[in-house]
Amino acid sequence: MQAIEAFLTGRIWIKQFVPFPEEQVQAAIDKGHVKVVSGISADGECARCLEKSPDYVIPFQCARCGEVCHYCRRCIKMGRISSCTELVLWTAPAPSKAAPRAFGWAGNLTLLQENASKAISGSIREEQDHLLYAVCGAGKTEILFLPIHEALQRGMRICVAAPRTDVILELSPRFHQAFPDAAIHTLYGDSPEQSGYGEIVLATTHQLYRFQEAFDLLFVDEADAFPYSLDPSLERAVKKAAKPSAPVIYISATPSKTLRKQIAGHSTIFRRYYGAPLPVPAYRALWNYERQIRKGKIPPPLKGWIEDKLRKKQPFLLFFPSIQLIGQAYPLLRQIDPRIESVHANDPQRKEKVMQLREGTLSGLATSTILERGITIPHLQVAVIGADHPVFDRAALIQIAGRVGRSAKDPTGDVVFFHGGITRQMDAARQDILFYNKEGEA
Amino acid sequence: MNCCLCDQTLRPKSSWRGILLYEPPEVACQPCRNEFAKITRPGCKICGKEGEMICPDCHYWQAHGYRDVIQSGKSLFHYNDAMKDWFHQYKFLKDILLAQVFAGDLKEALKNERAVAVPIPLNEEKLRERSFSQVDQLLEAANIPYRHLLEKCGETLGGKNRQERMDAQQLFRLNGETVPKQLVLVDDLYTTGTTMRHAAKVLQEAGAESIRILALIRA
Repeated sequence: MQAIEAFLTGRIWIKQFVPFPEEQVQAAIDKGHVKVVSGISADGECARCLEKSPDYVIPFQCARCGEVCHYCRRCIKMGRISSCTELVLWTAPAPSKAAPRAFGWAGNLTLLQENASKAISGSIREEQDHLLYAVCGAGKTEILFLPIHEALQRGMRICVAAPRTDVILELSPRFHQAFPDAAIHTLYGDSPEQSGYGEIVLATTHQLYRFQEAFDLLFVDEADAFPYSLDPSLERAVKKAAKPSAPVIYISATPSKTLRKQIAGHSTIFRRYYGAPLPVPAYRALWNYERQIRKGKIPPPLKGWIEDKLRKKQPFLLFFPSIQLIGQAYPLLRQIDPRIESVHANDPQRKEKVMQLREGTLSGLATSTILERGITIPHLQVAVIGADHPVFDRAALIQIAGRVGRSAKDPTGDVVFFHGGITRQMDAARQDILFYNKEGEA
Repeated sequence: MNCCLCDQTLRPKSSWRGILLYEPPEVACQPCRNEFAKITRPGCKICGKEGEMICPDCHYWQAHGYRDVIQSGKSLFHYNDAMKDWFHQYKFLKDILLAQVFAGDLKEALKNERAVAVPIPLNEEKLRERSFSQVDQLLEAANIPYRHLLEKCGETLGGKNRQERMDAQQLFRLNGETVPKQLVLVDDLYTTGTTMRHAAKVLQEAGAESIRILALIRA
C-alpha cells in the first residue's frame, strides 16, 4: 500500500493539510483514487461533522472566494472548514489486509466475562449491534480483547471510541500489550501525528469526525448517553465513521432505556470481576447545606463523616454539585484537615492530586462530577453533598457509587448521599444498584 | 441558540426595554462576559493603558519622531486569559461570529462619533488566506460605518520582537481615497503602538488634522 493511500483510507481530510506533496495528492485525484468534496455542502451541511443547524453553520462574506461562504463552528477546533474548503477522501477500494496477528493477553476471564465475550464475538460474526451492560468494575476491557483479536485475524479495521481523553490514554498501553504487532493509532485532541494505516484506532468520539466509512467494527465505550446524548453530533460521528454494515458494540454501566430497547443483542454483568456485590448508597439528610456552607459552616453530619474517615485513615471523595460550592466549602474543609484538596474540570493539576490521594499525601478531595468515572483508589470512601441537585442524575450517581470497593481485597466502603430531600434520580440509582446485586447473586 | 464562547444554553433576559424596543439577540452568556476585564481606571490619554498620563510606550513614540501624531485615544479591554482565548478563536481559528461579542462595546465607544472610522487593513495575501478582515468584521458587527484609506505594504509585525517592531520601516501607504480632516483609527489589538503610529503618520502627511485611535484590546 502506498503511504498516501495508507494515510487517507477511511479519512476525510482538509486537502491543504494532507501530509504529502501537492503533486502527489493531485496525481491521486487525477487517477480517480481521491474524491474532492466541498467543506460545507450546498444545503448547508458540514461534510466533516454533519452539522447542519444554522446556529452552528454560519454564513459570511468570504474574502478568499469572493462569495457568501458558510463555515462550521461545531468542529472548528479541528481547523475551520468553510464552503470553499476542499476535503479529500480516498475512494479506491482497499485490498483485504487479513494477516495473522499475535495475541499478548494471557489473563483469565471469569465465567460471566467469558460468556459476554463469546456473545460479542457472535454478534460481530452476524453483523449485529450489541450492548455490553456491565457494572463499574466488571472488567469490561478484558472482555473485548478476544473479540477484537478475532476481528483482526479477519482483516477488519477496528475502532474503540470513548468520550474522554483520559479513557483513551488509559486504554492505549493495554491495547499495545494485548496486540503487540498490530498497527494501533491513539487519537485525541492534541495527539501526536501518527502515520500510515491504523488497524486498531483508539479515539475520542470527536476524532471520529475525521473518518468516513472507515471501520468494519466499532466499540463505543461509556455509551450511557446514547442515543440522545447532549451532543447529538457525537452519535452522527459514530454512524459516519462506520461502514454501512459494520456492527457497533455499545459498552455502558448505565445505558439509557432507549438504548436497551433499541439493541437486540445484550450481555449483562451485574457482578464485579471478583464476585462481590456493589456497595449500596445510604441516605443522610443534610438540610440547608448550601446556606450553611455559604455562612461558613460545614453541617455537623458531614463534618462527623469526614472526621470518621480521617480517624480510620481512609481516602475519601466529596462530590459537590457546583464549582462555586466547592470554592465556598474549600477553606472550611481545610480547617478540618489541611490535607484536603479540591479539583474541578479545568484544574491543570487534576492528575497529580488524584495521584496524591492514592499515595496518601492527601486525605481527601472535594470534586465536581469530573471524577465520577474512571478512577480507582483502594479503600476509597465517597460522599455526595447535595445528591438532590439536578446534576446528579441516575447515571452519575451510579458511577459515583461505582468508585467504591473496587479491589478484591476491600470490596466494601461508604457511599453516602447527603441530601436536602430525596429525589427520584437518587431512588432510581439506589434501586438499580440493588437490582444489580440481586441479579448478580442468581 | 447557545453562548458562542462556552456553548451553554443562553437564557434571554426579559426586560421592558426588550419588549418595547428591538434588541439584537445576545450571543454570549453573562458568566463568560464577566471573564473579560474592561479598562476602567484612568490612564494614558493616547492608548488608554491604565496608570500614568502618558504610558512608557507612548512616551517613547513622543520622543522618537511621532510627537502629537495621535491626538488621543482609548482601549476598551485588558488582554487577560479570557481575551486571549477569544482573540485566538476569532483571529486564528477564524470564528467570525465572535465579532458579535463586542458589538455593543464598540458601538458604545463610537456613539456620537463624528470623525470617520478607519480600520487598520491587512495585506491582500493575508486577507485571502484568513478569508476575512478582523477589524472590518468587528465594525460591521457593531453596525459602525467605516472607510478604508490605507493599504498594507509587505512587512508584517507578527512574530517580531519589541525592538524589531518599533524599528519597522514603512507599513502602510495611501489607497488613493481622499483623506478627511478628522478620523479615528480602529484596530483589534494594541501592543507597542507601532501599527497605529505608522498608519497615523501616513494619514497626517496626507492632510488629516485630528487623528484619534480606538483599540479593542490593550496588551
